[in-house]
Order: sequence, then structure tokens, then C-alpha cells
Amino acid sequence: MKTKLNNKSEVKVMTGNETAALAATLCRPDIVAAYPITPQTEVVEKLAQYHASGKLDAEIINVEGENSAMNSITAASLAGGRVFTATSSWGLVFMYDAILVTAGARAPVVMVNVNRETPGMIAVSSGQQDMISTRDCGWIFLIAEDCQEILDMVIMAYRLAEDHDIQIPVMVHYDGFYLSYMAERVEIPFQKNVDDFLSVLKQQPERTKLMPGELLGCGSHGILGGYMEMRHKHCQAMERAKGKFEQINLEFEKKFNKNYGGQVEEYKLYDADIALLASGSMCGTIKTVIDEKRKHGIKIGLLRLRMFRPFPNEKIVQALKGKKCVGVVDRSLCFGFKHGPICVELRSFLSDIGDTKILSFIDGIANTDIKKDNVKKMIDLIIAGSKGEDVPEVTWVSYDENHGGN
Amino acid sequence: MIEVRFHGRGGQGAVMASKILATAFVKIKKYGASFPMFGFERRGAPVTAFGRFSKEPIREKTQIYNPDILMVLDPSQKNSSAVFQGLVSGGIMIINYDNDPNDISHENLETIGSIDANTISIEEIGMAMPNTCLLGAFAKVTGTIDLKPVIESFKDYFQGEKLEANARCAKRGFDEVKILIKN
Amino acid sequence: MVEKKKKRLSKVFDYLKHEDPFAKGVAFCAGCPLELLVRFIPQVLGNDIVITGTPSCSAPVLMGQNTGSWHKLSYYGTLMTGAAANATGLVRYYNRAGIDNTVICFNGDGTAADIGFGNLSGAAERNEPFIYICYDNEGYMNTGIQRSSTTPFGARTTTTQVGVNSRGKNLRRKNLAMIMAMHKIPYAATATMSNLEDLAQKLLKAKQIKEKGFCYLHVFCPCPTGWGVGPDMSIELCRKAVKTNYFPLWEALNGNFSFSKQVKKPKPVKEYTKLIKKFNHLSDQELDILQKDIDYEYSIIKAMTKLEKEIK
Repeated sequence: MKTKLNNKSEVKVMTGNETAALAATLCRPDIVAAYPITPQTEVVEKLAQYHASGKLDAEIINVEGENSAMNSITAASLAGGRVFTATSSWGLVFMYDAILVTAGARAPVVMVNVNRETPGMIAVSSGQQDMISTRDCGWIFLIAEDCQEILDMVIMAYRLAEDHDIQIPVMVHYDGFYLSYMAERVEIPFQKNVDDFLSVLKQQPERTKLMPGELLGCGSHGILGGYMEMRHKHCQAMERAKGKFEQINLEFEKKFNKNYGGQVEEYKLYDADIALLASGSMCGTIKTVIDEKRKHGIKIGLLRLRMFRPFPNEKIVQALKGKKCVGVVDRSLCFGFKHGPICVELRSFLSDIGDTKILSFIDGIANTDIKKDNVKKMIDLIIAGSKGEDVPEVTWVSYDENHGGN
Repeated sequence: MIEVRFHGRGGQGAVMASKILATAFVKIKKYGASFPMFGFERRGAPVTAFGRFSKEPIREKTQIYNPDILMVLDPSQKNSSAVFQGLVSGGIMIINYDNDPNDISHENLETIGSIDANTISIEEIGMAMPNTCLLGAFAKVTGTIDLKPVIESFKDYFQGEKLEANARCAKRGFDEVKILIKN
Repeated sequence: MVEKKKKRLSKVFDYLKHEDPFAKGVAFCAGCPLELLVRFIPQVLGNDIVITGTPSCSAPVLMGQNTGSWHKLSYYGTLMTGAAANATGLVRYYNRAGIDNTVICFNGDGTAADIGFGNLSGAAERNEPFIYICYDNEGYMNTGIQRSSTTPFGARTTTTQVGVNSRGKNLRRKNLAMIMAMHKIPYAATATMSNLEDLAQKLLKAKQIKEKGFCYLHVFCPCPTGWGVGPDMSIELCRKAVKTNYFPLWEALNGNFSFSKQVKKPKPVKEYTKLIKKFNHLSDQELDILQKDIDYEYSIIKAMTKLEKEIK
């Protein structure tokens, strides 16, 4: 990430949750409805605090559950409001029926989801299983790496969701615990600059709104061709979102002097023989290890997914073409597949990438720390794979069948 | 980059201490990151927090396994193996302790800064809240940061009389910490 | 007599001040009083209402198909699990944006009493400024007559069948209107299609009171298809339900309970049940249980009407 230190009103030390709440506040939502859940709770509290102090001028709906949070803001969004909510894990799953409606109704809702394991065993711990459990809901999924990116991504998410050509809800994901409670340096932009950045939306054609007295229905019974038409248009808008996100990132750079890359971030990939594909907070650790490995002459790079839905397959093909071996790190499972979910998706267009060996690494489940040593272990396997040695296709990095997890 | 691990009990302000320290480093145009060890936080339960402080942006988001510095808010953990786990050689400990620091030993421990932060905080704030006093001691013992930015950063966390009292705590921590160099 | 009758009729029509926004023919079952209800509401309240509804008997007509619709109202079709939350979102945004609105959350008893009860209760507790109307046909009729929690004791449905091991529903019904009144909302009331003036008055009251908060209307709405009666019987059933105290008409305004129609000499519930096929297997003993439940519910409302203190 390139950063120049200007265009910011102040620098503060904030947790990922505080940052998310502040980011939403900077975007001036009309309606905020959220329900507390670990590790997201601080977002709800901060929004309430900002509202109480007058910093956030929004209607707050203190809903009785996540399902109602999503239902109420979806309706408010269809009526024309800018809306925000935040959730995590069971909360996301509890609003699953509602997020399907949000997407189907093309309501430009923005939500942050603080990644946490989903039920099965009760796990109050980090993991991307909630994201994977809901991935086919028709939303755009973005994944942040650190607190600063949470702030910037939420602002960009409104530009993307409310864009007239897109009109698809956006979910910004960040790792629970690792980012939600991580307090670090965050540059806060001027309110005016955020207003300017979002004001582009006002110049676009007004979106259709559900208004009293107007002959307008929403949520009709889609049958046969009518249903297919809506779905087809939704898929087309998803495809458009890829290019739109790239464009928004460039405009963001102009305004705020920060460029994270677009759908993906390439880290030292240009001359790399081998690579890791990963997402979220683990990428910082991976970058540190890559720097160390490069000092020893190992040409390795990282491709970081910033956008998970739509899946940036073109960008991935471009970035990984010609690499000898690529390891995909998944913080979640794809039951029924032995590979991790992102790895499964990568393998689906493997023939486009060419003769690259793909390894699946599963790690970081239920707060298992993805330590530097874990990353080194993955890199050793990738190096072995690139030399044609016999390495397992799937490795649970912190788990040993004979000795259990560590 | 220096890596600091905080050991305390729920209610002693270990997590806040790590956050304040991160703020202090950011105030001097450096970088700081802090986060708590994940668990069910309850008053009285052992709490661990981590802090990384550096001139460069901090990218690692892992827990800290090889701390350079230990900040021990809870004196009952003074010789616990969990506290010393992974301490680098030449390590530093800053501890809230009202007794002879010669009691404390570990092969990698070189410097001990001890201060009776409970008594000081009771005198200054009116309650045992050792965190800010230890932050003052941290500045003196480690020399990684001046006392001034540490106290400056309190403004993000306290107001009014609480702010003044905590600043006095930190000042006394800085002035009164006893430094013991082991060989 | 003739003159008096005419006068009476005109009283109902006096309330119908607005155009009927529905097409001439709509897809309800023959004799379904729901059609009367959905035509009645906008004619009384105006065509500028926003209706939110869910999959239910009213959905095929209210939702429309693809881009076609049977009415000229602003309508939002959504989830049974989140009906009241959706109305909340709409009304909060309209009020914030300064847009005059009457949002009506229109649902069956399946949504109101069962799957969407949580968010109904949540919206009532938050005193959201909209009108929630539950049309109670005592079961999931759209999916083909399954029991709900407002299905009365003894009733035959496809999930409470009559056979060697089962005698219809063996549990008593949930009194949702009373539960809603207990949320201390500004207005809760019951109504039915045999007493349209009463219904119209209650709708108009709700429209006024909703400025202060949540209004709940529970409308008894027989289902000729699901209950096993002729299409010409639905209004008669409403009338009998009121006269037997099976469905008493009352309202609670700021916690002050009053009967809208006090039945002087209520008829035994048998007079009502004997008209309906879903009850025709009931023995005298079983009818007695049903009668006792009805008496019990009535006695609660009666006791409530005697409370003096006003809840503000």
C-alpha cells in the first residue's frame, strides 16, 4: 500500500470495530439498525455513542435480533435511505433469509461482517466460516486486511453499492478478534473529503424508491422468464462490479492518496516463481515472512483477495499465470470438498492459469494463530511443490491427525 | 520493532495500558498496535494483551510469542512460567511489585523495573489501577519513549480529575521505579 | 323497516371515501372475506398507504407477478420472519425524510402469531409508528390448511387430523390481540367483517393514533375453503363468532379496555361450531373444553375493561 501523509484530519489509535463505526458515521447513513454479537458488539456501542453525542445524525433502530436489523434496513434502503448495519457469525446466519431479499431486491445496503466461526461447536473465535456459509447470497463481498482498510473500504463500499450501474448490497468482512479488537494507527479523513467522494452518487439518475401513493411494488412473485430476467441482470451487475471497483479505487487514490490495488492486491508478485493466495488479516504476517524469504533469495509473492464476490478470476489468472506453485490459505472449510473454499474456486479455472500446481492450506480456524512459523511451513511446501516433489494437496497447517490441533 | 506482553487480571487495565502505549507511539509519529488475548473477559480472570511498537508500519497480526518486554500488572504472576514464556534474552520486566525484585528470576531476564503501582494509584486515583503508573515506569526503564507523549496520550482515554490523577500516577511511576540489572 | 335498513347501509358506505385500487377480478377463493378486507382498507384510509406483506393468502393478489399487479397501491412483499421489521425500516425512513405516510403491515396469523412473532413483538416494544393488521383465518391456509398457534382447540387441519390417535388440535389458541395489548402500545383492537362500521372506525382511529406509535388490529377472517363452509357463509360466521363471544370485539386505547360490541346474551359456542366442518367431529365433552376456553378469554377482557387507571 502506498500512503502519503496528508488529506487526513487526524490520526488515532482505534480498534477495527471503532474504525468500522466511525467509517459508517463518516458516510452519513439515514438508518442504522444493529444487534450486538461478539466480536462485533463494540461497533453497535460506538454507533450508539456517536448518535448520543450528535456525531452521527441517523435514525437508530434498536432491533430485537439480526434478522430484524437486515429486514428493517433493507426496507429503508428501498424507500431511498442510506443504511448501515454490522454483524458476525450466528448473527449473519440468522439474517440469511433477509440478506437474500436484500440482494434480490437490489437494495444498496452496506454491512460490515466481523468474521467469526459459525455454530456447530460453539466457537467464540475468529475464522471466515460465516462468510463462506453465506457466500452465494448475491451480495458483493470485500475483505479488509487492517483497521485502516476497514475505514477506507466501508467508504468505497457505499460508492459501489449505491452506484446506479451496480445497486447490489456490499458486505465488508474483517477478521473477528484479530482486527475487531486490534487497536492500531488509523488515519481519519476529513468529513468534507468523504462527502465529496460520495457526492458522485448524487449526480447519477435517482434510483427507484418505494413511496407512499406511487404505483410501485417491490418483492413481487417472480415467475419463469420474469424471475430469470432479474437473476440474469443481477449476474451482469455482479460482473460490472469488478471494473467499477477498480475505478472506485483509482478515484479513492486521487482523493485520499491511498491505493490498495483493486479487486486484488499484488505483493512482490511480478518476479515471483511461487505465490500465496490469501485474504484478511493474515496477509500482514504473510508479507513480513515474504520479505524475510526474499532476503534468502526465494522469489515468492502474495496475491491478496480484496474482493471475494464477484470472484476476480480474470485478475487472478493475470497475476498467477506462469507461477510454478501457488498455495491458497483458507480460514474456513468447504464441507464435502477436502480443499479450502477459496482453493476450490481457484481450481475451477485452473486451466486458464496454466501449468501451475495448487496447494490448499487450511489454518486459522477458531482463532488458531497463523504464526510466522505457519507461513514458513506453507512456503516450504510450496517450494517443494514447485520442484515437483510429492506434497499433499491439502494441508491443515496447525493440525496433526495423530496429535490434534495446537 | 519491540514486542511487549502485558499480564494482568480483568479490571486492572492491562488491555487499556497496551492501547494507551500504542497511542503514545503514534503520537510521536511511530506505529503502535495492541490487542487483547482472546477469551471470555471477566473481572479477576487472568488477562493477556499484546503490544507492538515500531518506526515502521506494523503488519503482523499474530499473538506475541517472543516478547522483548513484559509488563506485569498482577504481582501474583511474578514467577509464573506463562509470564516468562518465550522471553528474549536480555529481556525486560516492568512489574507492579511492592517487594524486593531480587525475588524474581528467569534466565533471560536482565532488567527489572519494579514499582508499587497499587499503592501509588490508590494514593493518586483512589483505587488500585496500576496500569498508568506502570506506563510511566515503562518510559523510564525501556527508554523507548519519553514520559511526555505517554501522558499526552492519556487525553484520549481520561477526562478531568481522572486525567490529572493518572498523569500523576505515570509521573510517579517514572520517578519512583526501582531498576535492578541482573547479570 | 326498509327505510331504517337503507340508512344503516349508507353508514358503512360513508366510510368508503377513496377509490377501490383493486382490479375487478382478483385471485382469492370464492367467498373469501380477505378480498372484502383488502378492498376495504384503502377505500377507508386512502390509496396513499404503503402495504407490506408476506407470502400468505393475500400475497398472490397483493404481490402481483413479475411486473404485473392487481392493484394500484405501493406494496412491498417480503419475509414472514421480518414483516414488522420491514415496516419499521420504511416508516423510520419516511419520517426522517419528512414524507407523510401510513404504513400498513398486513399479515396472516401464521406470520403474526408464529414465525414473525418475534419481530412483531420487537416493533411493538419499540412503539414503531405504523399499523399492523393481522387477518386471522386460524391457520396456514395458503400452504393448504395447516395449524397455527391461533387455530382453536379441536379444529381439524391437515397437521391436526382426526383419527384414532388424534382429535384435531389438542391445544388451546393463542390470544394474540391480548398479547399485543400487553405490549402497552397506544392502540390494540379486534374487528371482523360482519361489523364493518366498527372496522372502519378502528382503521381511522389507528391512522390517527399511529402518529404516537404502534397500532395493532386483529381481524377475524374465516376461510371457507379451509374450514369447510360454503362461500356464502363467511360473513355469517363472523357474525356468529361475535354473538357467541368466540371472537369478542374490543379495543384498548392507551391501555383502557372497552368492548366495541357487548353481547348481552352470548349464545353457546356450539351455535358457531356446528356451521363449520373443521369442528364437526367434536364431542360434547370436547365442545365443553372449547366453550371454557372462550369463557376464560372473555373473562380476561371483561376484567380488563374494569381497570380504571389509564396507562400513558
